[in-house]
Amino acid sequence: MSEKPQVKSSPSFFNNPRNRSIIYQLLLLFGLGYFFYSIISNTLANMEARGIQSGYDFLFNTAGFDILMSLIPYDATNTYGRTFIVGLLNTVLVSIIGIILSTIVGFIMGVAHFSHNLLIRKLATAYVETFRNIPLLLQIFFWYFAVLAALPSARQSMSLGEVIFLNVRGLYFPGLTPEGGASVVYAAIAAAIIGIFVLKRWAKKRQDDTGQQFPVLWVSLGMLFGLPLLALIVMGFPFAWDIPYLKGFNFRGGVTVIPELMALALALTVYTGAFIAEAVRAGIQAVPHGQTEAARSIGLKEGKIMKLIIVPQAMRVIVPLLNSEYQSLVKNSTLATAIGYPDLFTVFVGTTLNQTGQAIEIVFMTMAVYFVVNMTISFLMNRLNSSVALTER
Amino acid sequence: MKEFKPLPDQPAPNDTVGPIHWVKDNFFSSAMNTIATLLILALLATVVPPLVDWLLISANWSGTTQDACTKDGACWVFVIAWSKQFFYGSYPTEELWRINLCVLMLIGVIASSQLLNKDWRNKFSIPAFLLLPFVCILILDGSWIGLEYVSTDYWGGFALNVLLAAASIIVAFPLSFVWALGRRSEMPFIKSVSILLIEFFRGVPVLALFFMGSVMLPLFFPEGTNVDKLVRVWIVLTLFMAGYMAEVFRGGFQAVPTGQYEAADSLGLSYWQKTLLIILPQVIKVSMPNILATFVMLFKNTTFLLIIGIFEVLSTTQTALTNSNWLGGHSTEGYLFVAIVFWICCYSMSRISASIERKLDTSHKN
Repeated sequence: MSEKPQVKSSPSFFNNPRNRSIIYQLLLLFGLGYFFYSIISNTLANMEARGIQSGYDFLFNTAGFDILMSLIPYDATNTYGRTFIVGLLNTVLVSIIGIILSTIVGFIMGVAHFSHNLLIRKLATAYVETFRNIPLLLQIFFWYFAVLAALPSARQSMSLGEVIFLNVRGLYFPGLTPEGGASVVYAAIAAAIIGIFVLKRWAKKRQDDTGQQFPVLWVSLGMLFGLPLLALIVMGFPFAWDIPYLKGFNFRGGVTVIPELMALALALTVYTGAFIAEAVRAGIQAVPHGQTEAARSIGLKEGKIMKLIIVPQAMRVIVPLLNSEYQSLVKNSTLATAIGYPDLFTVFVGTTLNQTGQAIEIVFMTMAVYFVVNMTISFLMNRLNSSVALTER
Repeated sequence: MKEFKPLPDQPAPNDTVGPIHWVKDNFFSSAMNTIATLLILALLATVVPPLVDWLLISANWSGTTQDACTKDGACWVFVIAWSKQFFYGSYPTEELWRINLCVLMLIGVIASSQLLNKDWRNKFSIPAFLLLPFVCILILDGSWIGLEYVSTDYWGGFALNVLLAAASIIVAFPLSFVWALGRRSEMPFIKSVSILLIEFFRGVPVLALFFMGSVMLPLFFPEGTNVDKLVRVWIVLTLFMAGYMAEVFRGGFQAVPTGQYEAADSLGLSYWQKTLLIILPQVIKVSMPNILATFVMLFKNTTFLLIIGIFEVLSTTQTALTNSNWLGGHSTEGYLFVAIVFWICCYSMSRISASIERKLDTSHKN
């Protein structure tokens, strides 16, 4: 048999994938380079023409405007840099409230979808389908202009036991002012939380070793409430109640929740809750029914089946979805600016930008904040995800 | 040999069939369920009658001014009097046929995609769908095709929401496809640029992007260029949508079996032949439900444009609410009306998306 001559294929220069890829990438690089060059040179020219300053010096100038609500001491003599912090804290506050409440609402509504009761099922479906399909901004307006604005005036406030008041100016509830010895109570709370973690570990280890179960939940609850209570009694209740009271046309004292915050938190909760309910429903539906049957056949009780079999498997589907819902909640909290809740966007991109005109720095800083906040959420949720994810060989 | 004859089926026991059992099973299966049922019924009984009364029975339907609202219920006169503004914005009344024409064309294109056979669908419906927003912009603007020019200052209302959403998704389609391809690319620089673009437009609040469009974008253009406000918004919406859709497409690419790529390669198809003729049709098919869901999100987000002063439907409503002839506190009626309009659109789209999903789902679930 004659040997076939080996055909040595040498593609032409342009047909070589390596060369091509280098050429394409160089083209993109030059394209992008030209794009950014022209943007930057245009921007610099425009800024000079309009007399806009650049740099971050403005952060140290006096702001000169008041902010409706602030978690740290703030007045008009503070700097623009401080307005950034005030806005950031307000954004974080509404995001945390929204995330906690929408998770609770979402899980309840998601589980309600599997209720044995037809009315509960239909109610859950109606909730999800109604609020998922209406724009969030519209819901914020609805709560703010139609519902909260219809509340009675301060003199005709609705009250709960004469300590919690609700009127058109906001929600007022009593605050606690710590006195000497309060730190012991805080320490007791911290000790209880650490104790619960230790207890949980110990109980799990004991069950793994001996098979004996320990009522972790009840002991934990006892610790969580018992220890601080004990500390309170021992220290002789080292707190003073600060109960709101009507003075003139408005309430003084206590803790005030402004209607803007209420409307925004309510709308974010209801809207995101509908999406979380869908995520929870999808997660539970993703667990094959055979799992429930198998659990029943080995004699687990219904509560244990949910806790030990269904939820851990459903969480694998739910957690990644929760991650994106939480991130969109934070991003959606920027809608605060439509009703004037002083979040980062309202304060910084709204008022500060208007006063200083330094659009690029301010928009850049704001975007960076949302990026960092979302990355943090993503990081935490990914940690949670890897703890619930399926461990394969 | 005797033939085997099964006995006739026994009827189901009386306590497992019939309406009484159904009621018992669904509402009163346990003590807790009975309590829940009674509580919900009590709640419905207290909420529904006054609501129906306010919405329908003692509502005001006829009249043209606020004074016509004499009854206790909702003042729908407000919505009726402003309905032209809600749907068309302040577009000149004698030119409204242009908007109606665009809506008719949209309905026609959607109908054609359902009615025509596959060949014509590819030849007519898809190109028509892609061209429609541009044709509509030409018609609405008017100056390019010899009609009376209508400045974008007069464009508004619900029609603007629909137009912006549709125009954005159609331009975002090819863009996001390219980004998704870039993200899958083996060329490191192209890949990282794509990832950066996608993550940027997904990670930043859309409101920040709108502010960028209205405050920063003018700085990027050479001095003297005046880009229309709506065009800037269109650019921003398109990029935002492209970021989200690129991720949808990425999921679609992953769903196409590797064998499809290998088969196309072994037939000797070029990269673009393989991508456009073999992979893309399958990607679009599996991504369709998610594309619709993303579109619903974009559509709802067009209301955010109120904040940068575009006269979309929500800001028209606010203008109407602060009109000096209508200062009677009609905010509930106004917002409810807009909510219902949005709800109908978004709900029907989510139904369509769910039905496509069901059609595609060939797995055996229990």
